Amino acid sequence: MSERSHVVPTPEGEYFEKSRFAGLSFIAAIVAVVGLIVSIIGAIVWPEQFAYSWLFGFAYFFTLCAGCFFWIIVHHAVDAEWSVVVRRQWENIANLFPLIALFFIPVFLFRHHLYEWMNIPPGEDHLLDSKRAYLNLPFFALRAVFFFVYFSAVAFMFRKISVRQDRDGNPASTLKMRRLAFVALPLFALSLTFGVWDWLAGLNYKWFSTMWGVYIFAGACGSAMSLTVLVMAALRHAGYLKETVTIEHFHIMGKWMLAFTVFWAYIGFSQYMLIWYANIPEETDYFILRNTKSWNLLSLLLVVGRFFLPFALLLLRSTKKDTRALCMVAGWILCMQLLDIYVVVLPELHRTGFHLSILDFFPVLGIGGTLVFFYLRLVGTTSLFPVRDPRVIESLRIVN
Amino acid sequence: MRTPSGNRVYGIGAEYPSAASLYEAAKRVRDAGFKRWDVHSPFPIHGMDDAMGLGKSWLSAAVLIGGCTGLLTAALLTFGPSWFIYPLVVHGKPIDWKTVPAFFPIMFELTVLFSAFTAFFAMLIMNGLPRWYHPIFNWDRFSRATNDGFFLVIEARDPRFTEGEAQQLLEQSGGRHITVVHED
Repeated sequence: MSERSHVVPTPEGEYFEKSRFAGLSFIAAIVAVVGLIVSIIGAIVWPEQFAYSWLFGFAYFFTLCAGCFFWIIVHHAVDAEWSVVVRRQWENIANLFPLIALFFIPVFLFRHHLYEWMNIPPGEDHLLDSKRAYLNLPFFALRAVFFFVYFSAVAFMFRKISVRQDRDGNPASTLKMRRLAFVALPLFALSLTFGVWDWLAGLNYKWFSTMWGVYIFAGACGSAMSLTVLVMAALRHAGYLKETVTIEHFHIMGKWMLAFTVFWAYIGFSQYMLIWYANIPEETDYFILRNTKSWNLLSLLLVVGRFFLPFALLLLRSTKKDTRALCMVAGWILCMQLLDIYVVVLPELHRTGFHLSILDFFPVLGIGGTLVFFYLRLVGTTSLFPVRDPRVIESLRIVN
Repeated sequence: MRTPSGNRVYGIGAEYPSAASLYEAAKRVRDAGFKRWDVHSPFPIHGMDDAMGLGKSWLSAAVLIGGCTGLLTAALLTFGPSWFIYPLVVHGKPIDWKTVPAFFPIMFELTVLFSAFTAFFAMLIMNGLPRWYHPIFNWDRFSRATNDGFFLVIEARDPRFTEGEAQQLLEQSGGRHITVVHED
């Protein structure tokens, strides 16, 4: 019904030519190698700082991949129309989960620096002993294995079925993916919640917050959508998807960014206010650490930068309908997600105040560079959007 | 404008066989330069606001003002008593700007409440509601608008309205059962 030309995709789809971007791949590989080598040196020289810096980098990219994973299953579970043309990139990003699992290994190896509860023998702390049924090493390792197997396997299955549909155009694949999404959705909620409890909230075993999983989830989904905006804009800039991903799709993605900006603030504030108001020592510890000394500045920057600023900008329709402006907000949200994870992880090491270590940068670069490198290899192997999805025409013509 | 029988004319309406033909007709009426006209269908039609050339409604501006009023009202209701009228130390919380988290839920709720009320009442005003009767109901066929009918009505108060031109336009755009609707 739109006034735009009625585009019908060619059955072959659009392909990303890897050879055109060999330079970019090379830069990503260099960044990855330098980042990883410096991280390894850091791990030998300064293991404690390395452990936290690595966890920071790992958790950042874990949230981004988990966010993209979430958008795939939501797309299928609600039978969404608009997101058909962007889905393939979510599938590609979520398929980086085996690498994320690999990057978890240093966290596990340096666990004694990170997780105090692993160093306390039974009988010393009653508070910990009452949590031993959950906080014990075999169960911790088993959970981690389960989470990564779950994320990797389901992401792989979604991409495999989706790519197969590119070839045979069988609409039954769509129903199959929808059924898979219904199973994957509750498991995703449990895996993400317990995963970030184990790895992030577990930095302080005394602390607990029932909002924690939702808090990380809200940040992850909003920043994954911001990442999608940047990836789509980059692909369009490189000359792909010109007729496929339109300003209408960017408008919808902008709306999701706004929604998850508000949701993040809502969850973050709900967590803060209940703890602040109840004033129970074992809960307030988390916020006393982050809202005093120089950490307070970063916490306040997070409140302004992750909520007030993007909220005001994304409220305007003109921002969401302008690819350039939307990309700037998306980039900003990704930076704020980095700050969010930083303020979650690093204060547990530098309890006296903000202390930026040179080692904080290299794991992010190393992990990020590796993921970009493998993403560029993955993106060229299939069409850039699911060409024979039954709803692809509707997605192309979407108007909102 | 009056009919030969002496009734005032409300406008001229036509029925269309489908949503797609109504959509195309709307574009023609828009391009002909009419301002006072409307389409009626049993369900919302995507892109119809563009086809009618409606532009952006002022509802969002009204809601923004309503929301800001709610926020300021909440700020006044919370800071006023707890800082100036009855300053009390509750739960060991200080009496300065750091108490503000306790008031956020009130600010949030009143912002939402005022926005919702503004949206609701502004919508009523924009649609000219409530009203008990409308001249278009004088047209028998129009009762199908909530069932399976697609209608386009050009009002007589449109400055460009002449019965001949409007009728011709509706005919050309594929309208059927073109009818002059009485005001009373």
